[in-house]
Amino acid sequence: MTTPIKRRELFSSLAGIGASPAAPQVCNGADLIPNVALRTHEGKEVRFYEDLVKGRQVLINMMYAHCEGFCPAITSRLVEIHQALAPRMGRDLFMYSITLKPHEDDPAALKSFARMHGALLPGWTFLTGDAYDIETLRFALFRHNHVKFDLDPDSHTGKLRIINDAINRWTHVAPLASKMTVLQHISWADPPKSFEQQFQDNLKLQAEIDKEHQLYGYRKIV
Amino acid sequence: MRRCNVGPFGLALRLVVLALANAPALLLAANVCEQENQRPRSPTQYYMILAGQTDVFYDRSGPTFVMLQRTAADETDVGAFGIYAGERQQPVFGPVPASVYERFVSESRKPADVLLRLSISKPQYDRALAVLQTWERRVRENALLYPEISMDNILLVKQATEEINRCTQTLVAYDLDWGLQDDISERNDVARIPYEYFRELARRNAARHVPDRSSP
Repeated sequence: MTTPIKRRELFSSLAGIGASPAAPQVCNGADLIPNVALRTHEGKEVRFYEDLVKGRQVLINMMYAHCEGFCPAITSRLVEIHQALAPRMGRDLFMYSITLKPHEDDPAALKSFARMHGALLPGWTFLTGDAYDIETLRFALFRHNHVKFDLDPDSHTGKLRIINDAINRWTHVAPLASKMTVLQHISWADPPKSFEQQFQDNLKLQAEIDKEHQLYGYRKIV
Repeated sequence: MRRCNVGPFGLALRLVVLALANAPALLLAANVCEQENQRPRSPTQYYMILAGQTDVFYDRSGPTFVMLQRTAADETDVGAFGIYAGERQQPVFGPVPASVYERFVSESRKPADVLLRLSISKPQYDRALAVLQTWERRVRENALLYPEISMDNILLVKQATEEINRCTQTLVAYDLDWGLQDDISERNDVARIPYEYFRELARRNAARHVPDRSSP
């Protein structure tokens, strides 16, 4: 007599339950940005969306401490950006650098990297976490929709993601573009100004234009 | 150009230092791959099955999934993950219900259907299972990597099949990387890529296919 074969399902808990093509819908930050648990360079536990992004304007890049390619140059550029926007940093603008190699970069390694590059600055946080969560975050914020590039973490170091969650505005820029270009891209995600503020800004700009016309006969700075 | 003469002793010292510096990584890699070269002690058999159909969904693509099977004397573990047809014939990405993969594996198939059954080792099985389990977690936690499930399925089939070859060349591989040499990605709609990938792997590995009558 033969013994009946005992059979176990490898994925029994979920069999028949899966993801279907998503219907078009309006998405906001909580739908788009994973709320994964991370640790800061100070060793503090944080939730990425709830604690760091929700309602804020943020600049996000990916790096790793032993990166010898673009990362040091990008970090130096971000230090310049931080200096240019110093009055806003930590108040209404925040900077996050997330490691691509969480198994190598613990909070101490990130702090050491930040200190070495003069990046221990207000409003700038370096983050590490679980590899699974970092990958989720990397795809959510930096994916190219290209299998080869997306599977290569290094391809995500050359992008600065700019998000203003309060107005659901996303953009990005290559951080090694000129400082003015990076600052201009960041300004595109700035909170909208009131009519009165726009009017005052336009008056100031017009005064500058008139002055240039008086001095040179044309607009010198465009 | 400046040259540095370290002498035989200096060179030996440098090699020792280099070996010590890389020891953890080398040990890890050796452990992962050494297990694969050991002879199996039990009659347990491990299989990876790549299954694909076409012309099932509205875009002419079809179910494409990776199936893993471990068969011992009196028990078998089996599971499949990928895209399958849901109740309304819509594509669903996730763990494939047993009724669906059993029907596909056991029933007579259409000429266009693809089925490649590979006999693999336990370490290969464990690595592929880890890939599928990570995707199961992503489905469970609603943390898929792409907004389009066809793209997630491409990553799944690529990762699962590439894990087979991590230590030894078991599979004649196809480089699904969307590069210039990758004709499958170049010529097909995203939803159809996994099917075409399986078809190409089945063609390249026809000699390695374990036919129905040989599998338990």
